[in-house]
Amino acid sequence: MDSKNEGKQRYYKPRAEVALDIEDMENFVYDMSRCIKCKGCTWVDHTYMPGAKFMTRCPSATMYEYDAYGAYGKMRIAHGMAEGKVEWNDKALEIMYACTLCGACDVGCKRNLDLEVELTLESIRVKAVKDGVGPLPAHKKIAENVKKTGNMFGSSKKRTEWIPADAKPADKADVLYFVGCTASYTNHEIAQSTAKIFKAAKVNYMLLKDESCCGNAIFSSGMVDEAREIAKKNVEAMKKSGAKKLVTACAEGYRMWKVDYPKLLNIATADLGFEVLHLVEFVDELVKNGSLKMKKEFNTRMVYHDACSLSRLSEPWTPWEGKRGWMGCVEPRLKRRRGTNGVYEQPRDILKAIPGVDLVSLPRERENAYCCGAGRGTKEAFPEFAKWNANHRLEEIRDAGAETLVTACPMCKNNFAQNVKENGNDMQVMDISEVICSAIES
Amino acid sequence: MAISKEVYKVFESIVGDYYVSNDPVICESYRSGPGGYENGTGYERVMTTIPGCVIMPRTTEEVQKIVKVCYKNDIPYVPYSTGFYGPKSHPHVEDALLIDLKRMNDFYLDEKHYYVEVGPGMIYSPIQEEAMRHGAYVVIGGGGAQASAIANLIGDGWSPLSHRIGLPHRRILGTELVLPDGELLKLGSLANSDDPFWGECPGPDLRGILRGYTGVRGCLGIVTRMAIKTLPFQPERLQPTGISPNTVLAFPEKRVKWINYVVPSKEAQVKAMYEIGKAEIGGAVTKVPLFWRSIAKAEDKEHFWEMWGKENEKTVANFFIVRVLLIGYTSEEQLEYDEAVLADIMSEVGGEARPTKPSDESWIKNADSAGMWLMCGDYVSVDYVIETLSQATEHGPTYAELKKKYTPPLMPDYGDPGWFQSFELGHQGYSEFLIYWDHDDDTDPVDQFYLDTSIMNINHRFYTSLLGPHQPMYLTGPQYGPNYHEYFLKVKDEFDPKWMSHPPVPLAHDVLIERSPWLKKMKYWETPDDLPK
Repeated sequence: MDSKNEGKQRYYKPRAEVALDIEDMENFVYDMSRCIKCKGCTWVDHTYMPGAKFMTRCPSATMYEYDAYGAYGKMRIAHGMAEGKVEWNDKALEIMYACTLCGACDVGCKRNLDLEVELTLESIRVKAVKDGVGPLPAHKKIAENVKKTGNMFGSSKKRTEWIPADAKPADKADVLYFVGCTASYTNHEIAQSTAKIFKAAKVNYMLLKDESCCGNAIFSSGMVDEAREIAKKNVEAMKKSGAKKLVTACAEGYRMWKVDYPKLLNIATADLGFEVLHLVEFVDELVKNGSLKMKKEFNTRMVYHDACSLSRLSEPWTPWEGKRGWMGCVEPRLKRRRGTNGVYEQPRDILKAIPGVDLVSLPRERENAYCCGAGRGTKEAFPEFAKWNANHRLEEIRDAGAETLVTACPMCKNNFAQNVKENGNDMQVMDISEVICSAIES
Repeated sequence: MAISKEVYKVFESIVGDYYVSNDPVICESYRSGPGGYENGTGYERVMTTIPGCVIMPRTTEEVQKIVKVCYKNDIPYVPYSTGFYGPKSHPHVEDALLIDLKRMNDFYLDEKHYYVEVGPGMIYSPIQEEAMRHGAYVVIGGGGAQASAIANLIGDGWSPLSHRIGLPHRRILGTELVLPDGELLKLGSLANSDDPFWGECPGPDLRGILRGYTGVRGCLGIVTRMAIKTLPFQPERLQPTGISPNTVLAFPEKRVKWINYVVPSKEAQVKAMYEIGKAEIGGAVTKVPLFWRSIAKAEDKEHFWEMWGKENEKTVANFFIVRVLLIGYTSEEQLEYDEAVLADIMSEVGGEARPTKPSDESWIKNADSAGMWLMCGDYVSVDYVIETLSQATEHGPTYAELKKKYTPPLMPDYGDPGWFQSFELGHQGYSEFLIYWDHDDDTDPVDQFYLDTSIMNINHRFYTSLLGPHQPMYLTGPQYGPNYHEYFLKVKDEFDPKWMSHPPVPLAHDVLIERSPWLKKMKYWETPDDLPK
């Protein structure tokens, strides 16, 4: 819309340049200043509001309760910082980092207002790093580990130790399996199940030569310079591999490759030069085209927990820069990422296709799902936060009468499993790769 | 006066260390603006400030203790439930204590006697979900799904569903009010037992002190518990459907149905509404501004302006819609009957039914108020009137005419006369006028328009919601009563002699005028010298 041609009835408003660039928080001051405190970021979408229990979708606001911890509070604090009225202190750092950047707020806001909440929160952390107050010691430790050992745990073990004797990845293949730190070091069962699925579907796959960390916690804590170097290195290695598809069973790694690498490299996901798929997308297609049969019964009452990075955070990235003018309208036209096209149905379709599975709904699911509290480096910095939120979600899951909890993210699995064990509960917690694997094994 | 360390420790002893904070970052997060209802206006910029301290009680007893400490130590305080509806629910004086009530979110549903009992932290959409699950429903007021039900009911509390359910004061049952000095006042049947099933009091109905035409914005204490009347709904589930942002409640089509009719004139609109009420059919009957349709259809802000830019004064002047919600409360046959009656009425007034989706996205579980900010970034409902149907609809055009003088910065709406509808089966009509702007523009004219509407109403002798603490009381009070303001101030002095509960409400608008040169130049009325500064 050209405000110069709007006629004399309207004010002419000089246009301000703006970009979806998290490296400059100024890009999001408009969004901060238009937050109306409706708290749509915090409550479950009214349409799906399940009742007087499980009303919220923001882990930070739910646990900490003060307004400061909701996106509406963070936006006000950051706006105060942008105006020079508010200084960083320990509380501000806690508020900005005790948050999984799970995207629930972003989806909630875009139900009505289209404010770029997720990018605002990411940009605040970038500012924290630039201002020399962030990230937190736990994040620095991860960055140090990655630098020294290539993995977030600082493990000196061989990254490929998970590979079973009967599995041999190809040297060259169209499909490249990106394993990720967790499946490589702490959750071999995910990597091994994934390898078995490939084998069952007769999919030839390769691994990234000298695979190393995707940089999830580094990026998420605001260390964008370091994260960009990782992105460059990984994307270059992927291109060099010649593979056409990158498949991962890690939701956070998936988001990094699909969304945040393009964001860091200022390119569109479509311009990466290869396709990025989560295992559930890959398997869903195999099941639907008959290449993978899941015949073995799994008799259980099951719930599926939507991992944030696979669901509402997973829409492809397209760089955008333009101008904001009259009434805040932008040009060129911006196609906003609202979480609408996240990976919601594929995992459900897979699980429903397994004989014996009684897949039941949760009060909060899909774009309204309640984050487990672990992701994006949060559990490392705030273990109590991760624990509290896992238990909050587990209460909802137990209310649904679930015997088996399935997720598609190793962070979620570990956080839930640890708390289930501590609580003495007999619920089984599984990664979706394990469930698929159990249905295809003879 | 800043809250002393000693008093802070007392607060900690009441709610626990965690639930009181004077950290500047925590306090900053309770700022009213820069965005939101009425924010960006003079009222927000001149009259609000961040709290000096925030406290989060869990129980009525804790609220009482906090308020007593405040009263003893001359600490001004402000009750705050969700903070959605703008600067009036935020501190107006330095070093105030903000009492955040969100932890008081208790919920109890009495299925047999058709009421729910809630705390001030409980919002509307879960209440509606629970009610519908038990065959009942409530009105989600214009404040929307995320508004505190208590705050909304003592402030405004209506929607198109008020056609059937009625006005909010009829639905407030037993209520607990912590008076400004900490004493507990129980209203309705709570006065003699712990059962809140009934709203009437022995003696004067004290619910009136809470709301009148609209609410008193926390200046007469804190409501900590309220029972809200629900009414029977139809039994079938309204199924949540779609993925955000396109989420709707799908109707059981033989039980619930929206039908949009286009009618030839405003007279036909009013007659249709009146006849629908007379026939005692319908769950909601309303006419909304044309641009709300564009909001509903728009993919984003830019799309809205593309669509709205194609309208003009002629298209707006010739747009007459009547939107009717039919509900088969008792049976599918009832809906069939009501639809036939509606068709007769519409045929009589020349109405034509338009294709309408078998779903609801705006009123039953929501009141899509957050969407009001989409197109400009700022919004306020300037005024509303409750009158007869024929009289209520007279107000909108006068506002639209006055608005031309202030456009821009107000959004160009080509003379749209606002929203009007039937209340209480046509016994009453309702009209509301809303304005939209962008607070990056010069907002002084927005403030001036707000004040000018009040002056206009006085000149026209219109009786509107502005009589409450939403406009300078020394302007409106002498014109209505003629001592409305004196009466209100006596009530305030009696209940809150030290003016600790949300000062300087109810005189905040009077103070605003004194502090704002762009408004003071419009002042022609007298105010006392001892007005709070």
